[in-house]
Amino acid sequence: MNNKSTLPFKKWWLKWRFHLNILLVLIPLGLMPSYLKDAALFRGDTGLGEREIGLVKVGPWSITLAELRDDIPQQDGPAGYLKSINAALCLACEDQVKATYLRLGKPRNIRTAGHIFFGSPYRMGTSISIPEKTQSDALVWITMEGWDGSLHQASLPLTQVSPKTVAWLEKRGTAK
Amino acid sequence: MSKPNRSKLWFLVHSWLALPVWFFLLIICVTGTLATVSQEIVWLANPEIRASQPDADAPRLSYSVVMERLKQQVPDIFVQSLHRPDEDHFALNARVSYPDGRTLTVYVNPYTGVIQGESPTFNFSQFTRALHGWWLMPFTNGYSWGWYLVSFMAIPMLASLITGLVVYKRFWRGFLRPRLRFNRGARVFWGDFHRLSGIWSIWFIAVISITGIWFLIQAVLGDNQVTISTEGIPTFIAREDIPLTDGSAAKQISLDQAIVVAKQSLPNLNPSFISLPGNAYSPILIYGRGWYPLMGQSALINPYNGAVEKTRSLSDRSALEFVTESMRPLHTGDFGGLWVKLIWFFFGLILSFMVLSGMLIWTKRTVQTSLALTQKHAKKAHITPILSAVKGASHE
Repeated sequence: MNNKSTLPFKKWWLKWRFHLNILLVLIPLGLMPSYLKDAALFRGDTGLGEREIGLVKVGPWSITLAELRDDIPQQDGPAGYLKSINAALCLACEDQVKATYLRLGKPRNIRTAGHIFFGSPYRMGTSISIPEKTQSDALVWITMEGWDGSLHQASLPLTQVSPKTVAWLEKRGTAK
Repeated sequence: MSKPNRSKLWFLVHSWLALPVWFFLLIICVTGTLATVSQEIVWLANPEIRASQPDADAPRLSYSVVMERLKQQVPDIFVQSLHRPDEDHFALNARVSYPDGRTLTVYVNPYTGVIQGESPTFNFSQFTRALHGWWLMPFTNGYSWGWYLVSFMAIPMLASLITGLVVYKRFWRGFLRPRLRFNRGARVFWGDFHRLSGIWSIWFIAVISITGIWFLIQAVLGDNQVTISTEGIPTFIAREDIPLTDGSAAKQISLDQAIVVAKQSLPNLNPSFISLPGNAYSPILIYGRGWYPLMGQSALINPYNGAVEKTRSLSDRSALEFVTESMRPLHTGDFGGLWVKLIWFFFGLILSFMVLSGMLIWTKRTVQTSLALTQKHAKKAHITPILSAVKGASHE
């Protein structure tokens, strides 16, 4: 029934199998701090995101940007790598801005302005796709559209938006 | 295989199914049981989430009036959604955002519109659901590993039900002659308890394990980008449908107007959740149940001209969606108000005790019989205890 090669494993298994319960119960206990940290992050208790990018002037308006996670982009199946960015509109312009978009690289027109922000003007979010061949000097473009039809744009370097993303791109050796 | 041998095998399979992770399974059952009534537990503990009626004839406010009252109390508040819980003794849940960036749920009295309190950072309901549903493991790329871990346990649970019914011969007799002996020692008591609660929970264990297996399938499909949804792409308001203004936000219709329009398309819609536009291009979502308690229907309304952009009624679902979309409410018991939740809670407790009693029986009996099986040299000696154990399972 037991040959010599399976015997030690069997012995080990018989001795330790119930300790699996302890290991499994330790998982959520160990994850509690990060669960609570995330709950505070999503509630906005700890700011706009894990890392604030800063205030950016876009035409007559301004917007505060933050990285939801101070981390590399997250892979999302066939959508590729996505970077989640949160934003807050300036309090004075909240009623004037119809929509805000974010895009890696300069948009050709309003229909390609990029990913639209969703949420409240005090805390809205979007995710931009980061192709693996993105160059480290790439620019992130913000397009803001007014209720009167006016368009305003501004850009800032990806290194400023997400230093860890640039470091990650460089490490992969795809950035030039 | 001879009949006693087959019974012996089934019995051993049944005995070993939840092991050696019985304690893990027990915690899943206990947290799931708590999750079914987590809102009610918070209701008992926190008066802020109760819908206290100022006087007996005070009517519930319409959604538009609730919106006005919220803005009167906090002029800068940004309301993202309003949710009316199924049970009328709960306050409305309004998802709001403040100028300091905090985005949370506030509890609103449905009769006065007064903000009674804010959801805390540690939300008991969400925590028990996260612990039960995915073991607190984060969702990074697709479904959480915890989701797989927990939903996988539905397979041994269903197998336990099937093998349990196989080894418990003529189990239906237990309905007619229930037996719970208190005076014959712990082993006999827990054995009786396990069998008695088992047969009365057949339907519940089947519901929980089958819906649990669906959650596993859902994750596998989702992570492999297989969709069975007929819902189509998200709806956006066309650029030309949004009025240009002199610079300030275009006027939107009221929520009550949007509900009137939605009800013209879906006459038996009972709006319980309203999501306000997430940006200038997104519609108002009005969601509620109709005649079928396990699924909802919804309408997307253009906030500028009141046109119905899209509706999703029960008849828009495929036959497969009827089954799969019913799975979650069936698992949680959240589809028929407090009584259904209490039934789920009660049987959840029974199921938790079945895991516990199964373990107690196992320590008292199966350990010995299994040890005997693995001992090659004690071949003759072990047949008697196993047969008596099998007999015990079928006749006690």
